[in-house]
Amino acid sequence: MNPVNAGLVLDGLQVGHKTHDGGTSGGPLLSDVSLSVEPGEFVALVGSSGSGKTLTAMSCLQLLPPSLGITGGSIRLGDLDLTRASEHQLNSVRGGRLGMLFQQPKRMFNPNRTIEQHLKEPLRLHAGLRGSKARSKALELLEEVGFADPAKGIRAYPHQLSGGMAQRAMTAVALAGQPGMLLADEPTSALDKVLERQILQLLDRERRERGLGILYITHNIASVAAYADRVLVMNAGSIVEAGPAGELLTRPRTDYTRELLAAARLAPESRRRPPSRERDILVLDGVGKHFGSRRKLGHAALQDVSLTLKRGEILGVLGQSGSGKSTLAKAIVGLEAASTGSIFRQLDTAGPREGTAVQLVFQEPHSAFDPRMTLRTSLQAPLRPSHDLSPEQRDERIAAVMAEVELDAALLDKRPGQCSGGQLQRATIARALLLEPQVLICDEATSALDALTQRTILNLLLRLQRERNLSLIVISHDMDVVRYMCDRVAVLLEGRVVEVAETKDFFAAPGHPHSQALVQASIPCRADGLWSVLDVAKP
Amino acid sequence: MLQFITKRTATLVAAVVVSSFAVFLIPYFTPGDPVRKIIRSRVAGDAIDESAVQGLSESLGLNDPLAVQYFRWLGDFFSGDMGLSFVSRTPVAEQVLPALSVTLSLVTMALVLAAAIALPLGIVAGLRPGSTADKAITAVTQALIAMPEYWVAPVLVLVFALKLSVLPTAGWNDLSSAVLPALTLALRPISFFTSAVRTGIIDAAAAEHVPAARARGLSQGQAILRHVVPNGLVPLSTLFAVWFAGLLGGSVIVEVIFAVPGMGRLLFDAVVNSDIPLAQGGVVVVVALAVGVTTLADFVHRFLSRTVGASLA
Repeated sequence: MNPVNAGLVLDGLQVGHKTHDGGTSGGPLLSDVSLSVEPGEFVALVGSSGSGKTLTAMSCLQLLPPSLGITGGSIRLGDLDLTRASEHQLNSVRGGRLGMLFQQPKRMFNPNRTIEQHLKEPLRLHAGLRGSKARSKALELLEEVGFADPAKGIRAYPHQLSGGMAQRAMTAVALAGQPGMLLADEPTSALDKVLERQILQLLDRERRERGLGILYITHNIASVAAYADRVLVMNAGSIVEAGPAGELLTRPRTDYTRELLAAARLAPESRRRPPSRERDILVLDGVGKHFGSRRKLGHAALQDVSLTLKRGEILGVLGQSGSGKSTLAKAIVGLEAASTGSIFRQLDTAGPREGTAVQLVFQEPHSAFDPRMTLRTSLQAPLRPSHDLSPEQRDERIAAVMAEVELDAALLDKRPGQCSGGQLQRATIARALLLEPQVLICDEATSALDALTQRTILNLLLRLQRERNLSLIVISHDMDVVRYMCDRVAVLLEGRVVEVAETKDFFAAPGHPHSQALVQASIPCRADGLWSVLDVAKP
Repeated sequence: MLQFITKRTATLVAAVVVSSFAVFLIPYFTPGDPVRKIIRSRVAGDAIDESAVQGLSESLGLNDPLAVQYFRWLGDFFSGDMGLSFVSRTPVAEQVLPALSVTLSLVTMALVLAAAIALPLGIVAGLRPGSTADKAITAVTQALIAMPEYWVAPVLVLVFALKLSVLPTAGWNDLSSAVLPALTLALRPISFFTSAVRTGIIDAAAAEHVPAARARGLSQGQAILRHVVPNGLVPLSTLFAVWFAGLLGGSVIVEVIFAVPGMGRLLFDAVVNSDIPLAQGGVVVVVALAVGVTTLADFVHRFLSRTVGASLA
């Protein structure tokens, strides 16, 4: 074990809002947070979003926003009390002894600097490497995190990398200062299962090989079960439960933990409904979509996609990032015309205008609303073109869908910035329902939400499907979501449909090699007896 | 990138051709017949011989079709023959080029001065928005916008030339004579640059990658120097070019007040004297230069900000 590695110990940490005179106002955001991470230990900190996990990590680095301050307790890294350390000492600790791996890698890179420039900063500051030595070390790091062509990757600007590659590059940056302790803040929540597994395995290797201590912040229980030694559960700014992973996950003591675990266990078994005898409502025949000039035979996002959707059916579309899932959604709704092939809609004759009968629920609820408009204004927008509605009728319709998605009508006068992700996603669904759609396409509709919220939204969608006999297309990279929701599954790989199967058959025996890899990756790779927690068969 | 350069260059050529055609048409929309004006300027008395009018029109090629005249004019123009000034009877090119070099120096000095003042002010204001320093800087620079050149210039002359006698009142001889005109011209750009830098810095400082840089161990100062300031200055390159292009033809008031023999002064005189060839030559040169500078700024901006146009590539 590396002798400079030292444990991270938080003792009674308290964080609150700072007032101008140095005092505090309002209740504490973190209260009495005590935890420790030893060198070589993989400790998971779980909880729903807003529970204070990220705040805990930023406190350790002493990088809280200016409006917040530590009001009590201590944070020790070895012998050094970080709450009392000088700015000079902190600069050598940050990225050096104590590294941080962020979520949303693309936003955490300076868009105007290359990966090389980012990597060289910690190399110069913490390893004293400059020039060609720094460059060769940077190349080495990129190779280590899985860049196939480090010489090319090092010259790239962040926007030129895919999400997965950017997260690997971010991992290389975090490891460049040879930290003994790593704060990993949801490092994989934006990634699909295959990439998630690669990143976590990489961290786990660093832990085994050189005694890296890891505080892994997540809301993904499956990955916790696969890697963590100990688990801490955080709710509303306090640690509510802590213990060895095996014990805590199998015998949770608090209701909150039980709820978290239940939410993680979305799909104890595949959804089972008798095959639908209804007629097809949507038929895709040889749909293709090409980007770029036709002459140069530009990038083909979709090739020869043929699918059917029955009335009242829930069809899952699985695929990794970049497989063409979103392009497919846009083509079906009509936001982007398909280059080849045809899409037939066989709608109910009783339905309203044909154009709006297929609606889309977007991935990022915060970017699906105009930040300057109140929700009421946003929800009124789709009803404007139908002139047959009086203002009173319009308000009635809006009130009705708000009730249907279980949202308080008072929210209508709020702006998106004042709402939580879960509330906004409900509002997105309400907006789609306003036009009485017959087909609802959910494009990663819950992947930006934490597990608890995700579950409530999925249940809402299932109820709406039942009550309105909607047909749903659930597009996701999350195997659990698809397993929980869908009657049938289609797998997209590089713009082609490689497999279509009943959900149960698909998870029991995936046919295509890519499907097998997806199913395999969704099963954590742990040797001890935690499989029961996840309700999956041991591979 | 090559495609981008080709496209922008084609746009540049098109803009110059279209505007030069508009300039070429100026005489056809101005009251008074230039041919008669020329003859009147050469003969005594009011009577004009109609055959002389016909003869001069023929010899000047004014009876040819418009398109023929335009391409002849354009061809001559770009081979350096911009015609003869009505007033001085000397080639227009010989008057335009020295005036252009004067205005280029004046505008460059004014904008470099403006940037040199605006950069530190904008950075200080942007790093601590809402602070006393920010409020003071914003108030002063906003006040500058409200000061017209024809008021600022005499005040500066009064103070520095007449009261303190440290700078000449007018003319264009040495560097000292350039100070007051450049300063006058710089006032409004100072205001716009400061506000652009301030906004750029505020946006750049709010980016999430800044705390991420701190987490790598960069000190506050290093993070600002490497990740905030460079990113915050990107918008300035475009603004700089827009002002450069604008001031090339927009320095009239300052040049007239300070008797600077530049383009603004030249165009002003040409218009007052109905010296159409001189006005045409001056305007086309200014337009070509303005479009060229703006295009160049697009290249620079694209180089500085990697993500601009990334989706187009």
